Amino acid sequence: MLPLPRPRVGIESMAGHWCKTNDSAQWIDSLEIVVEGDGLVVHVYGGGAGPTPADWGSARTDIVYASNVLSGDAKAGAFIARFELPEAQVEMQANLNLGLLVVATYVSFREPGAWANRFTREFFRREDGA
Amino acid sequence: MSIAETEARAALDLSVLIGDWRNTNAAGSITRIVCKPAGEGRLTVHTWTAARDFGTVDAPVFAFTFDSRDAGAFAANYDFGFARARLQANVKAGVLVVVCLTSFHDESGRSNYFDREFFYRVRR
Repeated sequence: MLPLPRPRVGIESMAGHWCKTNDSAQWIDSLEIVVEGDGLVVHVYGGGAGPTPADWGSARTDIVYASNVLSGDAKAGAFIARFELPEAQVEMQANLNLGLLVVATYVSFREPGAWANRFTREFFRREDGA
Repeated sequence: MSIAETEARAALDLSVLIGDWRNTNAAGSITRIVCKPAGEGRLTVHTWTAARDFGTVDAPVFAFTFDSRDAGAFAANYDFGFARARLQANVKAGVLVVVCLTSFHDESGRSNYFDREFFYRVRR
């Protein structure tokens, strides 16, 4: 018996240029998200607060999650992507909520030092207003 | 690196996270989460839904600021073979906010999905 086809998650709603909603310096300044096949490629630019590089580079999403088990609708869904920064590994989880991209990061430093492993959550608006 | 720096990394205060947490929504998916200290700044997380006992796993903890000594978030992974659940949780205003990211690794055709639920603490 053939496996059931999995509904395609509509990831296009997450693509775009996302700018921070906060005027102050923060961990992440902006994100550029593009569709690549069935996944997303996320490019992150640091926001000047803490040990954040100006350019994190790009990472492909591990998994894009739908908003519920059957819908295939990513509008209220989420993704996970992982970044290797010079000093730390970062797991990023982002989800759409009321038109905002809510981005959480879990920052784990490779070597002991003055910085504590840290959780961040920041909010981003789509620059083009789409 | 100084000894003080090492200790600051090793000994985040877990008191914000420790406790028995219950879902604010009686119809929610995850019903209960119990967070316990496991020594040396480690945290264990035990999770239940109405239908399943997820069991207990070690969970790395995270502070809210880079120079904080207080842990305010954790991440926990559960692997059931046919599915994996990634719990990401943080405390905000006394509420444990839990994002559950579920991915399926069977042939059921189910979509991977995301859910967010809120928990209150019944005891430390």
